[in-house]
Amino acid sequence: MMSYSAILPQLFDTLKPFTKPGFQLKEQTELVAELGLDSLQVMQVLLKIEDHFDISIPLNNLPNIRTVKDLGEEIEKLLKG
Amino acid sequence: MNATPTHHQLRLKYGNFSTLSEALDYAASGETGCNFYSGRGKLTHVLTYADLKQQAQNLARRLNGLGLSRGARVALIADTTPDFIRFFFACQYAGLIPVPLPISLHLGGHQAYVTQLNRLLESCQASIAMAPEGFLPFLEEAATGLDMVLIGGPETFASLEENQDPLNPLEPQELAYIQYTSGSTRWPRGVEVTQSAVMTNLSGIIQHGLKVQSGDRCVSWLPFYHDMGLVGFVLGPIASQLSVDYLSTRDFAMRPRQWLNLMTKSRATISFSPSFGYELCVRRLGEDFNEHYDLSSWRIAGAGAETIRADSLSRFAKTLKASGFKSEAFLACYGMAECSLAISFAPLNKGLEVDRVDGDQLSNNRLAMPFIPLLTDEEQARCSKFVNCGVPLPGYEVEIRNIMTGDVVKERESGIIFVRGASTMTGYFNDPILTQEVLSPDGWLNTGDIGYWVEGSLVIIGRSKDMIIINGRNIWPQDLEFMAEQQAEVRPGDSSAFSVSTPDGHEIAIIVVQCREMDNKKREDLVQRLRSLVHKELSIPCYIELIPPRTLPRTSSGKLSRSRAKADFLTRIQWEEVTTNLSTTAGSA
Repeated sequence: MMSYSAILPQLFDTLKPFTKPGFQLKEQTELVAELGLDSLQVMQVLLKIEDHFDISIPLNNLPNIRTVKDLGEEIEKLLKG
Repeated sequence: MNATPTHHQLRLKYGNFSTLSEALDYAASGETGCNFYSGRGKLTHVLTYADLKQQAQNLARRLNGLGLSRGARVALIADTTPDFIRFFFACQYAGLIPVPLPISLHLGGHQAYVTQLNRLLESCQASIAMAPEGFLPFLEEAATGLDMVLIGGPETFASLEENQDPLNPLEPQELAYIQYTSGSTRWPRGVEVTQSAVMTNLSGIIQHGLKVQSGDRCVSWLPFYHDMGLVGFVLGPIASQLSVDYLSTRDFAMRPRQWLNLMTKSRATISFSPSFGYELCVRRLGEDFNEHYDLSSWRIAGAGAETIRADSLSRFAKTLKASGFKSEAFLACYGMAECSLAISFAPLNKGLEVDRVDGDQLSNNRLAMPFIPLLTDEEQARCSKFVNCGVPLPGYEVEIRNIMTGDVVKERESGIIFVRGASTMTGYFNDPILTQEVLSPDGWLNTGDIGYWVEGSLVIIGRSKDMIIINGRNIWPQDLEFMAEQQAEVRPGDSSAFSVSTPDGHEIAIIVVQCREMDNKKREDLVQRLRSLVHKELSIPCYIELIPPRTLPRTSSGKLSRSRAKADFLTRIQWEEVTTNLSTTAGSA
């Protein structure tokens, strides 16, 4: 079972292509407000995450995911099943 | 698990039923139904119309046990699930009015979503509300403080006692549902659609618009809370006994290619999308893709719901030509929730017909004079392109009236489109003032849209309430937005144009642009470039404001709302900055 601390670096790697050069991703980085992801980019990020971790993120959880940490914890939860 | 069949024995009826429950009763005697697919292309649920009828009637008896008054509103969070359709039809059999409510796809949008749901529940005065399991916490939070009988997930309702009284379905003159639509999310408008209105529209669509034939099959990823998703692809297939395959909107947005996979797999013949859906597909496919699609069965690729962008659609056709897609399959249509769904359809098997007109003549004299053929570069630059949306469905009276005088216009003269007919709404729920603004006592609905006639066909230009009038000249906000979206930094849907009155009474044009660029120099460069382009093309000064991504306001159906963008702009405007800015432009131009 993958722990949150193991998920986090992989999550940073997944998000990297969506950041500007030199941007330092942190756990508290806000996905929409700071990374400036638009709704289609959000879908692309989710797609990559779903494929990478082989999970399916329920739609109803999206409104509660604000930061990188929220997303990482969601992945951890889903991996636990 | 097997999907429901395309070919079946039941005689095709073209939606000539007096109510939705009667339409389902008939479809239930056949083998067709609806099929739900996951984002990875797996068939997850099959709901035959026969099962739907039986389950909806069972649920209707349980709802009847609650002792609600006839016509009480039942709010349904409209995720793409069999439960939504069961509850929608349970309401039909129980004499209750279903009200589909949106789902939220936004990251971190918890509070905004709850606020939106709260306004909608309050507006329709819902007695009960149902949400699929995961959405229940939002619904419960949204209902705080409202006086409601029951809020729950599907299981809560399934465990209610059955009432054994005979079912008394909604009758032709009663409402079929309330559809929340365009208009802002802040001040929701609930369109009242009667049974007879929606049945009239459905039979028109089935018989004349699509000319449904045996062997047809539908695919849809459109949301169930949207008029095209609900009326076109939930009610339409039932009223014409067709099987339909669903992909959720979220799964489409994440994996647009699944739409094409599903079309290939099910050999579907009918599917619709706003222009942006076709764009998204092309963008994700890339230049050379290896997948093998077979889209040769796709006979109707409908386009509507927003301004039809012919260029986007032709890119889609070109990209997928090798997969058997035929550009003749494109079908332009025009409609709105206030008319159940459809007003007009272009002819079948002809593809898009684009009308090229002189943009100067249109804005100065409101005349749509054709440019055929285009001769000079200068004419090319002045050319405006609009898609022909065809002849109104039988039973509609349509008038285009002069914006200033209200007189009925001549061929190729633009004006506001008014419609009258059996499928127009009775009004906005609980809102006589708003109803009066758009619906005359003798039944004419002001669509708010601007268009013109070409040989009996409607060509749609845009929305009148959004029109920008500068010094007596009409400027179409779409034009300004188009210029903004031509810039490399700006994407479709990233800009909103409107006009505001300055304190000294002048109208000025504003473009608000969502911009991801953080570098100040590059931002300034974008503003300058766009401003001089507007000046060059339209000879008007224009104030350009850059705002952070995802901050432009949208309506409950997801369309950009210019009126809200304007209202937001007015709350933060610094007149001094705007005027200084505009005078600099004038000086430098």
